[in-house]
Amino acid sequence: MRLFKTVHDFDYSWHTVSAAQWQKYPNPDCPHVQHVDVLDSSVDPETGVLRIERLISVDQKAPTLILRAMGASSTQYVREVALIDPKTKTMTLSSKNLTLSNILSCEESITYTQHPTIPEKTLFSQQATISAGSAVSRMASMIEDWSVKRFQQNALLGRDAFSKVLERFVVLAEAKEEAAATSGSK
Amino acid sequence: MSSSIGSECTDLKQKYDTCFNKWYSEKFLKGDTTPECEDLFKDYKACVMVALKEKQIDTLLADARKESPFPPPSSSSNSEA
Repeated sequence: MRLFKTVHDFDYSWHTVSAAQWQKYPNPDCPHVQHVDVLDSSVDPETGVLRIERLISVDQKAPTLILRAMGASSTQYVREVALIDPKTKTMTLSSKNLTLSNILSCEESITYTQHPTIPEKTLFSQQATISAGSAVSRMASMIEDWSVKRFQQNALLGRDAFSKVLERFVVLAEAKEEAAATSGSK
Repeated sequence: MSSSIGSECTDLKQKYDTCFNKWYSEKFLKGDTTPECEDLFKDYKACVMVALKEKQIDTLLADARKESPFPPPSSSSNSEA
């Protein structure tokens, strides 16, 4: 599992930053993002928090070897849920990959909050947890199991083989001693 | 504005996006949470769901929603569970 974290200050108000977030794509600096679709949009009547669920289509260009081995295309999908609370001026975006999840899991959490002392600034924090998926873990377990078994087999072979060497060694050593004793006693 | 996963849905999406962006800045951020773009969203979403089904992403999505609701949508949501 790998963790990634970064923080940054934007010199714009939280209102501006949160509104601009919806117009981030298409972006020539992010050519990997191909499409963005809104799947759900609703305001919680009790809290006034807006929840938006989106599907982001990404052309990831992962190493071809990996893609071919997994039979995957280079287009992957990410599901994101955003929560926007205009009262606390907090915007949280949580996302996780939808495809290739048995190979890799990438969970990301981004928050935009109004700066505690400078209202014209917005604090940005981004965290990601990246870990190998269950298929890879299973393969890792299989490789380990196989390796341990093979190691045990080889260890047994090695021990038996060495035992035979020791027997011959002892026999030869005893024969030499006898020969020396016999020739010495003559 | 970004295109849709279903190329035939991009027009509907952009109509919805225009409405949403206006509502978000002029109403929602100013404290008025009355939804305004629901009809446009309905048409756009119906189109996207067809595209998702064609690409077989609908089952992946349903599983992901069960596994990580993130938190779950409120009862007044537009989505189907």
